[in-house]
Amino acid sequence: MLKIKKTKLNEFIDHLNKEYSVYAPVEHGKKTTFAKIETALEIDHSIYNTTKSAKEVFFPQAEILFKYSKDGLKVPERNEKPFALWGIRNCDTKSLKMLDSVFGDAHQHPEKNYFKDPYWKQKYDNCLVFNLACNEPLSTCFCHWFDGSPFDKRGSDVFVVETADHYVMEGISDKGKKFLESYDKAEKADDNDVKEIEKLKAAADSYLGEKVDTKPVHDKLAKVWDEPIWDEISAKCINCGACTYVCPTCHCFDMDDEGKDGKGSRVRLWDSCMFQLFTKEASGHNPRGVAVQRVRQRIMHKYNYFKDNYEVDLCTGCGRCVSVCPVNLDIREVIKKVLEY
Amino acid sequence: MCNNAYIPIPMKVEKILSENPDGSLRTFDLSFVNEEDKFDYMPGQFCEFSILGKGESPFGIASSPTEEGILKFTVNRTGSVTNEIHYLNVGDVIGIRGPLGNWYPLEKLKGKDVVIIGGGFAFTTLRSMLIYMLEHREDYGAITVIYGARNPDLLIYKDELAEWDKRDDLTLHLTIDTPVEGWDKYCGFVPTITEQVSPDPSAWAIVCGPPIMIKFTLPVLKKLGFDDKRIYTSLERRMKCGIGKCGRCGIGSKYVCIDGPVFSFEELKSIPDAF
Repeated sequence: MLKIKKTKLNEFIDHLNKEYSVYAPVEHGKKTTFAKIETALEIDHSIYNTTKSAKEVFFPQAEILFKYSKDGLKVPERNEKPFALWGIRNCDTKSLKMLDSVFGDAHQHPEKNYFKDPYWKQKYDNCLVFNLACNEPLSTCFCHWFDGSPFDKRGSDVFVVETADHYVMEGISDKGKKFLESYDKAEKADDNDVKEIEKLKAAADSYLGEKVDTKPVHDKLAKVWDEPIWDEISAKCINCGACTYVCPTCHCFDMDDEGKDGKGSRVRLWDSCMFQLFTKEASGHNPRGVAVQRVRQRIMHKYNYFKDNYEVDLCTGCGRCVSVCPVNLDIREVIKKVLEY
Repeated sequence: MCNNAYIPIPMKVEKILSENPDGSLRTFDLSFVNEEDKFDYMPGQFCEFSILGKGESPFGIASSPTEEGILKFTVNRTGSVTNEIHYLNVGDVIGIRGPLGNWYPLEKLKGKDVVIIGGGFAFTTLRSMLIYMLEHREDYGAITVIYGARNPDLLIYKDELAEWDKRDDLTLHLTIDTPVEGWDKYCGFVPTITEQVSPDPSAWAIVCGPPIMIKFTLPVLKKLGFDDKRIYTSLERRMKCGIGKCGRCGIGSKYVCIDGPVFSFEELKSIPDAF
């Protein structure tokens, strides 16, 4: 384990910047989102977690797939260095693995003509994740419901803990270890640091609210699919889709052409299963035309369908959907309702 | 197909055929602009038809792999992309992404009797399959086709229907919803006519049509004694990416674009929102 003084973060980020394009939480008006930084001064340390998740670094809200004109199609070239993420929490770190199973073609249908997503791969492959431990989980956090915890290291390349005066860093993956070795200005962490980290970890765990065993949710959902419980759950949902936009694991998108006079771009844009038009067909037929069907789809996809395919819930308990929902539709309450039904 | 599945390949419009008097259904024959873009496909697969500046729409491939060099699509004019497709002229170049999805179980159908049940302009991939089977006629047993539309005008591939009607190695039953003058074939909805025709349940059934038709035809087939494993259907969803990512065509834990569009009724039984 190594440590750097908080006041020396700038030097570390400068070093990181030599090999990587560094993304970190940056304040934009009232929101804090992951954005490319040149110096550590741009990092917003005041927030607990970013408003939008880290998924947008690799899967931007709008992304050009190709440009078209009379001369043909052109895929935008990417000349950037590999990506490094600083200040990402473990809920987002885990979500990247989940998204990689979808976009990176990890293991669904290896036998089929199933495609890797080049736009995701070129950004996600070779990225370096500096996972920052959560010293003070929020009341909306529920990572512990889904096999997570504030000091979970899994998925990190480098695991970082913010102590009183230092960032203490532990190389987890080979890539992470190698990078830390390349930085010669760090000090060695000592027993006092280890003790301080243990204390912080214990405190963080104590901040978490009640824990619910979510293992039975998958099977329970399959049983209640056709039950009136969904009317009750979806009654106050206004289908605004905010939950899906801030969610680190939601990945539905639309493809749209923007341009005129034979010149323009085909763009991929975040979309949401909460919207009525999402599934509406040209014939007028809509398989999920009613709000209750869409709320059910979101819950089923997260805690049942995705698990069927990838053996993990499509939720990391980051709690963003809980904080942004304009009608206080708390997904934790939904889970509990399903379990109690 | 190239490494980037989002990039359409160029195809040239070779022929346009209006399928009905009001011109709302048109069939487009396309040829590959570049030799290296040519791809193999099977009946039942679909493509994303791409009009730059307007977007993409998914259509089942109506041609059979035995019809070399062309891809055929029949397009109902209904939205902004299909509207633009209808404005195409012979010689225009458009984009195609595909072939996508799975196909009809032609291997399993070998040596078996087959009942093809279709409705409206969803007859496209069924045409592909039928042409394919007729090209390999000795591989299959008796072929029965039940095909219906709201009115005679909305039946597509009329010339071919007339030819098939004359053949003695397939039985064609055509139906329209309500009687019109000069129509001497069946009148009534496809499920009703299927019950009347009462095909032998030892056959395999392939059903493709509007969701409502599929929904009411399945119970009829069950009643006639067809086994769930021997009933196949092709589902339609608003597929955007076509490669199992955009989330639009999810039915249960399956995606219509990569796990389908062809499913056996046995598979669909366990999927909660297939219809």
